[in-house]
Amino acid sequence: MANKQKIKGAEALLLSLIEEGTRDMFGYPGGQVIPIYDCLYDYRDRINHILTRHEQGAVHAAQGYARATGRVGVCMATSGPGATNLVTGIADAMLDSTPLVCITGQVPSSMLGTDAFQEADIISMTMPVTKWNYQVTSASEIPRAIAKAFYIARSGRPGPVLIDIAKNAQVEEMDYSYKPCLSLRSYHPTPEIDEEGVRQAVEMINAAERPLILAGQGVVLSGAERSLTEFAEAGHLPVATTLMGISALPSGHPLFVGNLGMHGNVAANAMTQHSDLIVAIGMRFSDRVTGDVQNYAPQAKIIHVDIDRAELGKNIRIDLALHADARTALEAFKVGLKYRERPDWFAFAEQERAVEQKEVFAHTDDPAGRFITMAQVIRNLAEIEKGDAVIVTDVGQNQMFSARYSRFNASRSFITSGGLGTMGFGLPAALGAKVGVPDKEVVAVLGDGGLQMTLQELGTIMQNNIGVKILVLNNSYLGMVRQWQQLFFNRRYSFTELENPDFSAIAAAYRIPARRVTKPEELNGALREMSEAPGAYLLEVAVMPDENVFPMVPAGASLSNLIYHD
Amino acid sequence: MNKEYIVIALTENQIGVLNRITGCYLRRKINIESLKVSESSIKGISMFVISAYTTEEYIDRVVQQIRNIIDVIEARYYTPDELITQEIALYKVSSKMVESNGRIDALSRSLSARIIEFNPAYVVIEKTGTRAEIEQLRDDLQRRGVLQEFTRSGSVVLHRAPLDDLLHDLGENTMA
Repeated sequence: MANKQKIKGAEALLLSLIEEGTRDMFGYPGGQVIPIYDCLYDYRDRINHILTRHEQGAVHAAQGYARATGRVGVCMATSGPGATNLVTGIADAMLDSTPLVCITGQVPSSMLGTDAFQEADIISMTMPVTKWNYQVTSASEIPRAIAKAFYIARSGRPGPVLIDIAKNAQVEEMDYSYKPCLSLRSYHPTPEIDEEGVRQAVEMINAAERPLILAGQGVVLSGAERSLTEFAEAGHLPVATTLMGISALPSGHPLFVGNLGMHGNVAANAMTQHSDLIVAIGMRFSDRVTGDVQNYAPQAKIIHVDIDRAELGKNIRIDLALHADARTALEAFKVGLKYRERPDWFAFAEQERAVEQKEVFAHTDDPAGRFITMAQVIRNLAEIEKGDAVIVTDVGQNQMFSARYSRFNASRSFITSGGLGTMGFGLPAALGAKVGVPDKEVVAVLGDGGLQMTLQELGTIMQNNIGVKILVLNNSYLGMVRQWQQLFFNRRYSFTELENPDFSAIAAAYRIPARRVTKPEELNGALREMSEAPGAYLLEVAVMPDENVFPMVPAGASLSNLIYHD
Repeated sequence: MNKEYIVIALTENQIGVLNRITGCYLRRKINIESLKVSESSIKGISMFVISAYTTEEYIDRVVQQIRNIIDVIEARYYTPDELITQEIALYKVSSKMVESNGRIDALSRSLSARIIEFNPAYVVIEKTGTRAEIEQLRDDLQRRGVLQEFTRSGSVVLHRAPLDDLLHDLGENTMA
């Protein structure tokens, strides 16, 4: 695209998006983006624009798309309310390091600051939740702004970028030529690894009797899944994943010891507390992972690898910090690494797994056989899908059961709102993921609360024939809050009970096949029917109303203080 | 323990950088005591000097987050004794002061200050000095009951060691 041509800013935007590899985008039109939509009408064969039913749906769909594909998710909204409706998704993407480019319309630059119709200062509003944002006020700035936006969104620690385009810039003519952004003098996204640090790390790993690798989403973001597996196998090192790191390693891998944190696996948390060396790769020691930081991993030295220098030592004490990309570090660690059997350590993992079997897994079904349980639904779904489905969750109990009982063969198969914990994320993120990976089975696992926060996106699924499977775990409660009320607030169920509509009737209104089951003996047949459905399908499972997620580390407690039952 | 920390940040001269930087303090509820932004010795690069009272643990994290801002080239924190710090202050005092002190040049000498405006109603005195010196003169004039108005610049700083290494990678040092 070196040849210059005279075109409107709106067209320059679309050509720039195409240059950056955009094939799909999610959006919602409005007054200040009509020129862009007008141009998009001529580009329908080159950009697949999905019209959502709410801007929040558009941004979550772009997130799901980015997480499933590894490409930058793109969404668009008009000025004012359109832009402000994106904010929740942008904040979510910021905390979960999801690469997004969000385009918003803005009032003409001559009217900026005048409280014009549908004017909102979205640049100020999104400053704390974007990696970078920029307001375009003339057409000539568009190619450079888009090039920078994509470069910043996907490099280093990825994140959301917002480009606010004043209406006059969309309609002005400009000389178009495109040059991708390859570097910025104030931004150095690829750190050079400290060789001495690597040497020390390998020495520490070789000397460790009870090492544990904590793998976070950084492993996935840097495409280091294979490096992780090879590193773990070369040293014979057990691996636990954070919520965001789930599926970085196949669930069935013999070195995988489970998930970390508040509702993680017993072995993963117990091993943290007994380990003499934690090797944390691309994770950020969130409070949901560490519990009480004073009593976190008391016997361990900690090696922390992260591409974001600000994460090193932010939440916990670190013995060796390595500012590096996960893949670079894992590849470097393999050199000089010794294979050690460590039979006692793996026996400990086995012993703790047996504890979980006895204390938790053995009690997941309703002993009376009356109710279906959420644990049962997810476990049976995992058996039917055999680890090949992409599971997209909402937030709360549905999310924790999905994390605990799903099985994964491939990376990027578990998509969830980790940092922000955004209810309403699941349905739009799942449709976005399905658009990104149409050949994979994508299942949205939702609660009855979260589904109703972004229920309108059923319309998007209908209109675009998006073959996403929707599994609703309906306990007629905001279950996770209800669980806390039961355990810590004296069973005072303050505003957590929901009187729900007939979800199958709603699905039917959107021409989505649906079924509701209530009895354990109906479950597997219904799950199979959902799995075999050629297009979208909604399965509502009425589940036990008072089922809790266990084990649980109460907020702020040490990982050693697990609760196993009510 | 809360102490004064001075952050020096070099940034691209872009709209919004100021808000992003102050946002890093705001998030942790740290009040900024003084803030000065001006062009650095390199064209197009701004220098921020921000003073705030907080703990070393906090300022370290704030600086890490400031560094993550795309348009920030480098940011570091210092304690005041690591920097040569001067402020300029203007004091508007009643001209009674001059009457009681006799000659005007004697007055400015005695205060190590400069008279920059003089008329029958008031005298404006300019003083350059450390924060302590500036504040001492202010308190002194207040005690004598002659201070009418007071304004100060915020810190102008130079590091005792050359700042060159901060700018080293930019390859367009125009210090000379």
